[in-house]
Amino acid sequence: MAVVGSRRPTPYGEAVAERLGADLAAAGVVVVSGLARGIDAAAHRGALDAGGVTVAVLGTGVDVVYPAENAGLAAEIVGRGGALVSEFADGTPPRRGHFPKRNWTMAAISELVVVVEAAEGSGALITAEAALALGREVMAVPGSVFSPQSVGAHQLLRDGAGLVQNARDVLAVLGRGQEVLDDPLLPPSRLGLAAPVRRDGLLGHLSETLPVTAAELARKLGLGFAEALARLTALELEGSVLRRGEGYVRKLRRE
Amino acid sequence: MVASVLTCLLRGLEGVLVEVQVDVAPGHVAFNLVGLGDASVKEARERVRSALRNSGLGFPLRRLTVNLAPAELRKEGSGFDLPVAVAIALAVAEKRPPPRTAFIGELALDGAVRHADGVLVAARALRAQGVEALFVSPADAAEAALVKGLRVHAPADLAGVMAHLAGTAEAPAVAGLLPSAPLEPPLEDDLAEVHGQEAARRALELSAAGGHHLLLSGPPGAGKTMLARCLPGILPPLTLEEALEVAQVRSILGELGASPLSWERPFRAPHHSVSTAGLVGGGNGLGRPGEISRAHHGVLFLDELAEFQGPALQALRQPLESGRVVITRSRGTVSYPARFTLVAATNPCPCGWLGDDRRACRCPPGAVDRYQRSLSGPLLDRLDLRVAVSRPPLEALSTGSGAESSAAVRARVMTARHRQLHRQECLNAHLKPAGLRRHAPLGAGRRLLERWAEERGLTARGFHRAWRVARTAADLDGAETIQEAHLLEALGYRLAVHERAA
Ligand SMILES: [Zn+2]
Repeated sequence: MAVVGSRRPTPYGEAVAERLGADLAAAGVVVVSGLARGIDAAAHRGALDAGGVTVAVLGTGVDVVYPAENAGLAAEIVGRGGALVSEFADGTPPRRGHFPKRNWTMAAISELVVVVEAAEGSGALITAEAALALGREVMAVPGSVFSPQSVGAHQLLRDGAGLVQNARDVLAVLGRGQEVLDDPLLPPSRLGLAAPVRRDGLLGHLSETLPVTAAELARKLGLGFAEALARLTALELEGSVLRRGEGYVRKLRRE
Repeated sequence: MVASVLTCLLRGLEGVLVEVQVDVAPGHVAFNLVGLGDASVKEARERVRSALRNSGLGFPLRRLTVNLAPAELRKEGSGFDLPVAVAIALAVAEKRPPPRTAFIGELALDGAVRHADGVLVAARALRAQGVEALFVSPADAAEAALVKGLRVHAPADLAGVMAHLAGTAEAPAVAGLLPSAPLEPPLEDDLAEVHGQEAARRALELSAAGGHHLLLSGPPGAGKTMLARCLPGILPPLTLEEALEVAQVRSILGELGASPLSWERPFRAPHHSVSTAGLVGGGNGLGRPGEISRAHHGVLFLDELAEFQGPALQALRQPLESGRVVITRSRGTVSYPARFTLVAATNPCPCGWLGDDRRACRCPPGAVDRYQRSLSGPLLDRLDLRVAVSRPPLEALSTGSGAESSAAVRARVMTARHRQLHRQECLNAHLKPAGLRRHAPLGAGRRLLERWAEERGLTARGFHRAWRVARTAADLDGAETIQEAHLLEALGYRLAVHERAA
């Protein structure tokens, strides 16, 4: 089954993808995704961490890893018994037109597609459309109603996609419902296992709903703890983040 | 016939030179003790009488008056037996007392010299007042011999003491034995074993470097105790003077044995049922040292802070500020040193699971607020560093942590402490406001700190505490002046849940 979603996810989306990847892999499911930044990388990483098998479908030749920052992840996928799959000839560089085709391939080799965070018109929605056209199941994870990253997934839910709260929901649809998993979904203890995402500043790494601690942020960004804490405190003083329990959330903005 | 010898009276960690004067005169047979002896000193009469007889020295059947001078000080303890007996024996023999020589020890009925509490404290005080030789029991010889320039004799019994004084049998001086400081003390609790916990690790390092008090907040099983136990291991070993101060407290309590000096930082973890007297000192007589004085130059760990009795925690406030505890009793006032680093630990709520990502809090509404209010207030305001401790991810427990060892952290701590002592002769946590202004100028950062104080509410004490932590962060960085990042980090060590109420 495939886990797909935004290349610019919120920490919440990344956490969900990583946890789903891990729980599904632990239940013996092969997790398929597209080796892109964000949700894709988090899902692969989660599956690998759970000791599972994961398959990456590329929009380039199998000898060209895009984005380059995921080269280590690609090597690990192969090393752990998974595969890199592509319909393009060796050496094919990334081209805009190739990625929708890649999305079709992903849908084709999966029994079911789960969409985690997709903005309107994103590649993940193309994969979902392809899945429907090919007669595959489509499910979606709900997100914050304040987040533009949730619009696509919510549209799918409105159109009748199955709602995913945890891996059990997915396994039930796959006809493998006997495994008992935790309910509700447990956030991964370590955010940011996925390859580092390059975004400006700290704000982009904070969610409006799920508190992130200074230590988690430091780990994710490869900063020292002291620096992460100082920068968060500066944002707190400036009024753009709030303390929430032990962590920090981004202050809601009216758009 | 009159004779007088020297001994020492203890008041806390002070020793007062006392002269035991004996007058043996013709008249009714009597044995009078004057000079405010308490009950235990009066019991000394019986022991001294028996010890003298059983040592073959005889007890004079004459009018005997013993005066302990200065008379206005209340005498306590059993250490006066030996000097009283020696003074009587010298008076009877019409011998002059040896110059600049003092005696401390209890006597058994057969004349054996026994342990007295506080010999190290007494020995240091006597030496400071010019005494050159001291007679103590064999049990106390090792601790007395720690004092430089003092000749210590420890004959087994009163007869041996008198024989040495008469020149018939010499009691050789006991050699002082200073254990050498270990270069790399083996650690039971090493930070290399701590998985994750970046916030707590950094807070421990700041605490060790600047002497700041620390609050660890987190669910059961998060490793708060383990983290606290790691603190002594990242502190530098005690200096000789510090080791002697630590030994003095244990000497008063009668806990020093054959190897009295230790270079290890004390770590004390009293249970939350401890009484106020047990925690800060008090009890019988003038008051004995409590846990906070046993933790002098080391770490006092209070687990489950909210469970401690209110009065006990209240009593911590003054020692936390001054590094000493003053115990006032009807019969006088004593003070003990109590310069410790406080590490307090608390659950985030009564059930312990608030904020945990794997278990839900089951506390009724209102209970969490009440709990956090009970922790707040003046004590919390004195804890400079407050960090959340979360349970390590399960996967981290099975793999090696690859974390930095205590030895590596200690090296940075020692450099930072050296900078402070060189600059201001004390740790940052002990800087007074005037010292802060002189040694830790804020520059442009002052505006930032003032803005925080205005907008978030910061007491004057909180303002200075954040300032001190920022200075320590700068010292760990090797920075001459406090940068904005150091202030921001310092302000970050304040848990939101406590801020409202504090
Ligand atoms: Zn609770």
